[in-house]
Amino acid sequence: MKFNINLITIALLANAGAAMAADGYGIADANTGSINMKNWKCSACKIETGASGQVGVGVGYNDSDDIHSANALAAENDVVGKVDADIRYRGKDGYQAEIKATNLGMENGRAEITSGKIGKYKVSANYRQIATYSSETALTPYSGIGTDYLSLPSNWVTAGASDSMTALPSSLSPFELSLKRKRYGLGFEYQADQLWSTFVHYQREDKSGVKTTSGTIFNQSAMLPEPVDYSTDTVEAGIKLKGDHWFTALTYNGSFFRNDDQSLGFDSAYTPTFGGATAGYKSLDPDNNAHTVSLSGQYSADGSVVSGRLMMGRMTQDQDFVTSGYNYALPETNLDAEVDITGMDIRAVKRISNDLRISGSYNYYDRDNQTDVYEWTQISVNNVTGNAVYNTPYDSTVQKGKLAADYRIISGVKLTGGYDYRRDERNYSDREVTDENSVWARLAVSALEHWNMSLKGSYGKRDGSDYEASQWTSSETNPLLRKYYLANRDRKMVEARVTHSPLDNLTIDFGGRYALDDYSDTVIGLTESREVSYDASVNYQILEDLNLNLFYNHQTIKNEQAGAANFSTVATWFANTEDKVDVVGAGVYYDNLLEKKLRLGLDYTYSKSDSTTKVRQGVTGDYGDYFAKEQDVNAYAQYQATEKVALRLDYKMVKYEDNDAANDLAVDGIWNLISFGDLSHDYTAHLVMLSVNYKL
Amino acid sequence: MNTNQKIQTMLSTTLMAAVLSFGLTHTAHAAKWDAKMTPAEVEATLDKKFAEGKYSPKGADTCLMCHRKTEHVMDIFEGVHGAVDSSKSPMAGLQCEACHGPLGNHNRGGNEPMITFGKGSTLSAQKQNSVCLSCHKDDKRMNWDGSHHDNADVACASCHTIHAAKDPVLSKATEVEVCTSCHTKQKADMNKRSAHPLKWNQMTCTDCHNPHGTSTESDLVKPSINETCYSCHAEKRGPKLWEHAPVTENCVTCHNPHGSVNEAMLKARAPQLCQQCHASDGHTSNAYLGNTGLGSTVNGSAFTGGRSCLNCHSQVHGSNNPSGKLLQR
Repeated sequence: MKFNINLITIALLANAGAAMAADGYGIADANTGSINMKNWKCSACKIETGASGQVGVGVGYNDSDDIHSANALAAENDVVGKVDADIRYRGKDGYQAEIKATNLGMENGRAEITSGKIGKYKVSANYRQIATYSSETALTPYSGIGTDYLSLPSNWVTAGASDSMTALPSSLSPFELSLKRKRYGLGFEYQADQLWSTFVHYQREDKSGVKTTSGTIFNQSAMLPEPVDYSTDTVEAGIKLKGDHWFTALTYNGSFFRNDDQSLGFDSAYTPTFGGATAGYKSLDPDNNAHTVSLSGQYSADGSVVSGRLMMGRMTQDQDFVTSGYNYALPETNLDAEVDITGMDIRAVKRISNDLRISGSYNYYDRDNQTDVYEWTQISVNNVTGNAVYNTPYDSTVQKGKLAADYRIISGVKLTGGYDYRRDERNYSDREVTDENSVWARLAVSALEHWNMSLKGSYGKRDGSDYEASQWTSSETNPLLRKYYLANRDRKMVEARVTHSPLDNLTIDFGGRYALDDYSDTVIGLTESREVSYDASVNYQILEDLNLNLFYNHQTIKNEQAGAANFSTVATWFANTEDKVDVVGAGVYYDNLLEKKLRLGLDYTYSKSDSTTKVRQGVTGDYGDYFAKEQDVNAYAQYQATEKVALRLDYKMVKYEDNDAANDLAVDGIWNLISFGDLSHDYTAHLVMLSVNYKL
Repeated sequence: MNTNQKIQTMLSTTLMAAVLSFGLTHTAHAAKWDAKMTPAEVEATLDKKFAEGKYSPKGADTCLMCHRKTEHVMDIFEGVHGAVDSSKSPMAGLQCEACHGPLGNHNRGGNEPMITFGKGSTLSAQKQNSVCLSCHKDDKRMNWDGSHHDNADVACASCHTIHAAKDPVLSKATEVEVCTSCHTKQKADMNKRSAHPLKWNQMTCTDCHNPHGTSTESDLVKPSINETCYSCHAEKRGPKLWEHAPVTENCVTCHNPHGSVNEAMLKARAPQLCQQCHASDGHTSNAYLGNTGLGSTVNGSAFTGGRSCLNCHSQVHGSNNPSGKLLQR
């Protein structure tokens, strides 16, 4: 078969000479001085042209009485169908095309078609859907769901409390809370014979559905269905250049967000109070644009690598303000907001010897909000607002420095450690500067036969400039409050992991982690967060064709916080939350049964999330049950009926139950709230699917 | 290869990855020379051979004379690395020896080491990876050196297979399973009450992370945490008139993107979460006790029931309403 000596090789031959292995065995360092390719052949090299791969279709029956099951089963309807494909066509001269599809037709389907010449160019088109489902039994008296105005029935009788709204019970109807993203992408890539390459990728995402928001007038509120009708266009393009020991790229990223609904108006269900408002209006997320240009590069030589990136970005938003319900003069018709981003990263890695390597990096990221400051009159129907306030466009700068070293003490014993520094600066804040210093170390031991172990620990301390209640955040905040993301903090973490392979066909892995965030100087606010987790897994290849794997994980997160009512100078109440998670998984498969034609498998997962909240101030109260339990089963049998045709039967089950005592309430269960009702789930759903796969 | 076979392959590959990630140097004796040489001797020999550059007389044909029957060797021709008709392919250049190093005297009984990859190779991950990275230089891999996976001695071949028509790790159907075989905490996280939809492969780890390293924390694909979030949640980007400072600063101030026992991947629920930062004189400073048995219930007050603080302050991600200072409109 004909083959071409590639250009890299030609360059190598031209520059042949002694080379060192300091950087390893890179192709550019190869010593080709004595090579004689005159007799080089690849007569055994065989490129099969034509199409290969497989295509499959499946049809299934979905038995579910709760749309939430579609998160797991990707099926909204009783009868579902799908197409899977993994087809590759290989032509002459490096031409190839691919068609890939996974679950196409179902709610988590994706597909991609690519075509091009290997190492030369590629065009691609892709599609992908992401769907999430909350509930189909949410209740609301409003009509106009999905539009920008929600209306109450004409016979509505307002009242001061939701349980006095006489038309409420008869006006309720259920609606679906779910969101669906559909993404369509196009791409083109081109590589020159040497030096440069270029690419452009475009994606359109349409996101639609309904999500939850709330409409408030004074202290009376209603949960509202917010329309989601977004589209986002994303463009990425760039040019890349590379040589034997260097690389550089100039890339552009653009993102353009459009929201079809700029406001959400709603009839007030309550008897008018301050200002006599009978309707409310909310601003929904405004259209916005973002652009980023970055220049990145890398150079490596003699065991050293230096890489870096310069980045400039701009985010803008000039959507006209929503003026419905707002009867004051506006300083501008739109904000004309602009945030400039400047970023710089540099990193150097130096291999001192085969056993020792050091690295250092510096990272700078600045967010400069250029938006003008104006005076904005606040609607006075709300008795807790002032009349006029100024907007506070936030600026922030983050700088990070890191030093690290890894040292192979002996073969199979490696010590890695480092020091990290981080400084955050921001304006309009209670604390304008925070500094965090952290050290960490990791020891990995693989010197013992059948055992691999690692131990990692870190300690970090955060402090910063004086903590002062900012007039911009609130002039009335309790001076003892320390917001947890600004507060002094001692952070400790240790984790260990052990992998043991007592037999060639058996691997046991277990690990544990403990982390503590201690907000040592906080009197009011979050004072401590503690996390403990451990996990174990086993993979046992019982027979050549029989495999069993097991997995267990437990995690507990405890938070402690303190508060002070009436501006007390000591904490007067305390809250403790404890989150617990248990996950158990098991999988087994038996392959090559029935004359190597049948494969049987079963995967099972059980997960439980549980959270308790206790608040004490003299007496202790709790927040009731808050849990989610899920069991998932996937049993399957795959039978190779003929050389080309395989049949597969899948049975999937999801058993799901969750609860939230705070939301276990009637629509009118709280006097100043119209809720969606109880949104908890308790269901078992099944999906049976038969698919046929044909091998090309 | 169907999905289950891929998963099977992936599991064995990733178990091997887990083992390799601890810097395996002793336990595997796959190559002939490993029985007689220590890993250090193998490495020294390979260094010497690479520097000497004694390539084979007949290229791939020399190698395939013995190795054509070896499992998976010929599969190289099904993928791009074996594409002799592409000038970018190693098979169109130094052929097998582009990656496995100069032949030297290996053909005399196979006792002399060659550069080998993945399971069974005693060669350090760094030396293995130097071969791959010498061609695979781009902005997606330029931060490999010193990255988390590099520090953990993960070899390219721990995850990638090139003697195959397709590299299974690049399949979206199996990616999450591969990553979580080592990242067990994240495996538990995605099974929590609320999580990004990774459990069902609607999203995959690489939607947010670059396993080859980046200069952003946690190897995120964008220059900051927030920009990574905005790439799917562009509606939260603004800039809006009324910004909520911790939201603007860092999404993970309040959210755990891998999952939480709380709805919306929140680190804590309202009102506790909000009260960790808000203690103004008035309703934000009060204790909300929930169920006390003394008449108070968690679902009986708008401060704790329904959406709690968000019943009124629903625009926690910022508001663009002229009257939105309190994040209500």
